[in-house]
Amino acid sequence: MTFKRLFTLAAALLAVMLVACEKEPSTSGLYNDYLVYTDYDSSQDFSRFTTFFIPDSILVIGSRDKAEYWNDEHSREIVAEVAAQLTQRGYTATTDKSAADVGMQLSYVRRVTYFAGCNLPYWWWEYPFYWVPGYWGDWFGWYYPYEVNYGYAAGSLLVEMLDLETPSPKSDEPRLTVVWDCFIGGLLSDSERLDTRRALEGIGQAFEQSPYLSKSSK
Amino acid sequence: MKTIRYFAAAVLGAVMLFAADESKAQLFPDSFVNIDWQVNVPLSTSFADPASGWGMNFEGGYFLTPHVSLGGFIAFHTNLESVPRQTLSLPGGGAMTTSQDHSVFQLPFGVAGRYTWLKESTFQPYVSMKMGPQFARISSYYYLFKEYDNTWGFYLSPEVGCTIFPCPENRVGIHLSLYYSYATNSGGVLTYKVDAFNNFGMRVGISF
Repeated sequence: MTFKRLFTLAAALLAVMLVACEKEPSTSGLYNDYLVYTDYDSSQDFSRFTTFFIPDSILVIGSRDKAEYWNDEHSREIVAEVAAQLTQRGYTATTDKSAADVGMQLSYVRRVTYFAGCNLPYWWWEYPFYWVPGYWGDWFGWYYPYEVNYGYAAGSLLVEMLDLETPSPKSDEPRLTVVWDCFIGGLLSDSERLDTRRALEGIGQAFEQSPYLSKSSK
Repeated sequence: MKTIRYFAAAVLGAVMLFAADESKAQLFPDSFVNIDWQVNVPLSTSFADPASGWGMNFEGGYFLTPHVSLGGFIAFHTNLESVPRQTLSLPGGGAMTTSQDHSVFQLPFGVAGRYTWLKESTFQPYVSMKMGPQFARISSYYYLFKEYDNTWGFYLSPEVGCTIFPCPENRVGIHLSLYYSYATNSGGVLTYKVDAFNNFGMRVGISF
């Protein structure tokens, strides 16, 4: 082998080594943690809302070919926690959906197989059974007035607040506005009890990092 | 990573055997090659700034005069930091509560000039200056995700060191050095910003 070829081979091997030389941190500890992400429509005045409606079940995003709901003691604890947090912020629960100022949508991502490979950051939006437009009345679905940056993973809880008073934009197909949303990831352990406890802690954290969400806020 | 280490060790061993052959006093006449492990200490970066030993340096040079050499170098280093759970106020109004691992990967390369004293002795001190471009990746790992920013900047690094040849006839020596480096890379992830890198460090390796 000539020197030139040897040098070329050595240079190529060195290049391969350098490309692969970045040390990755051990992220195993991060998997034991959970993430709480919240965002909101900053143009909203949350003090103008008075009443809220929250369904008694959590929509499950899974692999079934029909809408599926989670309704047991754990889901009811989670729903009750969201309602309690809203009540603490000065809002009043109502059982009359048509009279509510805001509606709460709770969804749990059990499996991601349905749309695995879909490149949308909020892929469940197109999940065919995801809070079908007719659920909240005669509206053509809803939209986010701000950028949404979710990652998808099994074991995620989504909580969204919809403005039921002011469909927007004004057009022939009025849509409801998602004025606040919350993504809690990392709720998939071997223990359903632990997952529920994390979900409850996550909801508490979500409201803590959303101080604008108050009847008395301006 | 293990494969790379084994491969590097095999190459190193072969080169040392070759260099140790007295009939071939140097791999290349009037030249030197250094292969170093390095410890890097970021200064005033406030992002992934604990010292670490996850890096290497490769350098070679040709002696233009008995004391002055010119050559090239390439180095890489990763500094890591675990960031406890905290709430970040994100640009745009959102907020996120999570634990993170931060990482800064630096990869400078370019030209290196060196002035060496006592070139025929066992103990050969030198001063050098390295400069060139630097690639740096600033990363945050959280939950299942990784956010990163790839940046480019200009790198400048003065260095002092020495090469010790216990058996000069074999031309295999021990290399020790201290360096400071400055790079203009600027970037950020989430709510963190990094403007320029300042590093101090130490290298230990072999020279032949």
